[in-house]
Amino acid sequence: MSAAADSLSSAAWETQSFPDHGKKNSFWSAGENVAIAAVLMSMMLLPLLDPLLRWIFGSAAQSTGSIVQHLVLVVGMLGGAIAAREQRLLALSNVAESRLKGAAKAWVQACTAAVSITTTSYLALAAWQFVRTERDTGHMLAYGIPVWAVELLLPAGFAVITLRIFQHSARDWTRRISCGAIAMLMILLIQYCSASHFFVPAAMIVLGAASFLGVPALVSLGGTALVLFMGAHEPIASIAVEHYALVINPVLPTLPLFTLAGYFLAEGGSPRRLIRLFYALFGRFPGGPAIVTVVVCAFFTSVTGASGVTILALGGLLVPILKSGKYSEKDALGMITGAGSLGLLLPPCLPLIVYAIVAKVPIEKMFLGGLLPAFVMMTATSIWGVLRGRKTERPVIPFDLCEAREALWDAKWELLLPVVAIVALFSGLATTVQAAALTSFYAFVVATVIHRELKIFRDLPRIMAECGLLIGGVLLILGVSMGFTNYLVDAEIPARAVEWATHSIHSPMLFLLMLNLFLLVAGCLMEIYPAIVVEVPLLVPIGAAFGIDPIRLGIIFLANMELGYLTPPVGLNLLMSSYRFRKSVPEVLRATLPVIAVLSIGVLLITYVPWLTTLLPRLVE
Amino acid sequence: QTRIKLGTLLPKDTSQYQSLERMSQEWRAKTSGAVTLTIYPGGVMGTEEESIQKMRIGQLQAVTLSASGLADIDPYIGAVEKVPMLFRSMEEAEYIRGKIAPQLESRLEQKGYVVLFWADAGWIQVFSRRPVVHPSDLKGMRLLTTPGDPNEAELIRSLGIVPVERSWGDALVGLQTGAVDTIVTTPFLCLAGQFYRSANHYLALNYVPLAGATIMSKKVWDSLTPEQRQAMREAASKAGKEIQNSSRSENETSIAAMKRLKLQEQDMTPEMEAEWRSYFEAVYPKVRGKLVPEDILDQVQKDLAQYRSTKNSSGGR
Ligand code: NA
Ligand code: NA
Repeated sequence: MSAAADSLSSAAWETQSFPDHGKKNSFWSAGENVAIAAVLMSMMLLPLLDPLLRWIFGSAAQSTGSIVQHLVLVVGMLGGAIAAREQRLLALSNVAESRLKGAAKAWVQACTAAVSITTTSYLALAAWQFVRTERDTGHMLAYGIPVWAVELLLPAGFAVITLRIFQHSARDWTRRISCGAIAMLMILLIQYCSASHFFVPAAMIVLGAASFLGVPALVSLGGTALVLFMGAHEPIASIAVEHYALVINPVLPTLPLFTLAGYFLAEGGSPRRLIRLFYALFGRFPGGPAIVTVVVCAFFTSVTGASGVTILALGGLLVPILKSGKYSEKDALGMITGAGSLGLLLPPCLPLIVYAIVAKVPIEKMFLGGLLPAFVMMTATSIWGVLRGRKTERPVIPFDLCEAREALWDAKWELLLPVVAIVALFSGLATTVQAAALTSFYAFVVATVIHRELKIFRDLPRIMAECGLLIGGVLLILGVSMGFTNYLVDAEIPARAVEWATHSIHSPMLFLLMLNLFLLVAGCLMEIYPAIVVEVPLLVPIGAAFGIDPIRLGIIFLANMELGYLTPPVGLNLLMSSYRFRKSVPEVLRATLPVIAVLSIGVLLITYVPWLTTLLPRLVE
Repeated sequence: QTRIKLGTLLPKDTSQYQSLERMSQEWRAKTSGAVTLTIYPGGVMGTEEESIQKMRIGQLQAVTLSASGLADIDPYIGAVEKVPMLFRSMEEAEYIRGKIAPQLESRLEQKGYVVLFWADAGWIQVFSRRPVVHPSDLKGMRLLTTPGDPNEAELIRSLGIVPVERSWGDALVGLQTGAVDTIVTTPFLCLAGQFYRSANHYLALNYVPLAGATIMSKKVWDSLTPEQRQAMREAASKAGKEIQNSSRSENETSIAAMKRLKLQEQDMTPEMEAEWRSYFEAVYPKVRGKLVPEDILDQVQKDLAQYRSTKNSSGGR
């Protein structure tokens, strides 16, 4: 197996405090991994088998569309439960973990766990209230399965997550029981004091402190939504309605499917083959290794949808290449950290899909709109890399046509993957979900049949569980963020924001400038997915009032978020690089500053040169 | 003091929304501020299905829905919208709606909803990328079908048409790439969604009426005084009439506007209409009991026959 796969499989998003916890449950854990692999597999095969099933069973074949949609719910909750099991629910901050020591740390973590338990308990309750009303409708999914039976996974998933957070709250039973007692106390306080005027501010302070010390993002966002709905005397089940509506969105299955395609590639020998190819093509130029880094990182982020995965999977392979090009360690670190987020605007990257769903625009248009801006960002970063390379003396490597041809032939199957995706998406022969299913099936065949780098029984459950864990974590955050956004809608805040903006801002240019400033701050403070879900419903109507169409707004938004991956305090790439290369976050940040400056220029270009975004989507019409 | 929150897919800049807004003002005025209505337009509260769920959990107290959304609550509502070419005129459609309304309303009441008004938004018609004149032209065409109802997809397949399950949000790109080449919608929605730019062939075939209603939670309704309910009903039925009239006339202006852009119209001759009617009537057995419950469809067909015979005999005299 390649070094990339090794580093990926050992990757942990957060430091593992209790490495011994999983041993006794390993049978159960393996069962969960196999289950999520089976669900992902059916999700990949069902849309492709749809025409065949129809041919065999004729009118008796039931539509696979809504089955696949509900499988996303299964993957989401099961993946979330696995993430909780592995203590890898993504957190926005981890001050308690990194700054505290000894007994103080253990007690603080027991207290923050109590906040998490309280929140996830109420999320389970909200979901249960929703499922109860759904049970009375008698709606059927397919083959005699009632819809509510699948929806039951929402409360069940949150209940399992609650139990697992409790299990990991402390190492000893004294603290664990204290944690449970604190959670009980908080639940009692909420039950009896939620009508008080002090409830919302007090609860917000507790949540804010817990978020600072380190609780999963799911708890920060879900807790805020719960507190706001309770404070407004509105049903908390609204959060569950929104969560459910998001996960069964007809195009959402593309998200796990494209991610799966990326995981199949990243875990096999593809990173090595692609680096070899681009090194053969660009390696001899001064600054060639920088171009290799940019192109390969962009490709992998766009297919895995997670820039963190790119840094973990490719970092180890790219550092020696950059060093061979006489780049300083600092430049290499900055280059890889910055390049990690470059694929964000390149189809079929997940944030493009999530934006399309939230803003209710066609996915295909977002994909086309992102292409040129992605090249702007990649070119800007390459130019910086080439300039840094020129300063250092290095021997000129002659171009080796033979090696280039061989490397190209070696990487042909990987290079065809985007072609498969694009042809399937735009030929009109397949639905969006079928195109995604075909792409991931293609990647599956390349990895297991053509290259035989992944063994079906040895590697697939582990890789697919890893992919399911990522998807589950993202979907939980997205789901509860939708609940939070729905509170804003309920309180008519987007409508008021449009009114305010159209009254006080008079030119589209000024609006764009303010948008950039706002998104710069938002990018510093927020993770990309909650940022999309919470801010996009606010910004799209304001943009429309200034004549900026939602596709262009979306690309501007995501370009800013690309920068946000690199800006502290909430900058995922900084954390990933710090973890992967064992450097402190400030050190990584200093190395990345020039790339941040270069990408900022890219953001300004994308914002103020509209045709970069609108040209390609218009060509299709 | 009662606050009612209403969700609708109608966008804020439409005359239909303005009618609901006027209803809201009238409710407030006629109840001396005791009843206030907050409207959430443009689908900000989600799809029709989601709005119904939000009414069940108590976040919304009222919702304006199309008949297919209402049929999700009670399949009997399908009788007013789901049967292709069942009605030969808007008068027939309205007559039947009036006739079966008490039955539908009592069914909805049992499920906890009160109907404030019924309305339609004119005919749903055929727009396609290639000209469609005769039923045989539809063979193999790809028709956009809203996901979630296997029976509807099956009905379309039995007509020799390929159902393409997509949400309306993806309709435009579907038409542009050719994944979809036919849609059925009202002229107003065709213009608003810019679908005519690809689907620029228009067949003036009266497929089904786009019907709908505004419903309210019975629990909240019952908590109001009889005077309040009376005043609210009056304002609501006024809004319903306004919405119906403006929607129908907007369809006509939309056709005119689209024809100026690039729409090509295919008129319906009586012979064509007869041909299309027998094409659709052949699949009524697939509608009966699957899309629309047997008893209500039988009753509607009986009422229609009676209505037509009295109308003919009075016309012949
Ligand atoms: Na940031
Ligand atoms: Na960020």
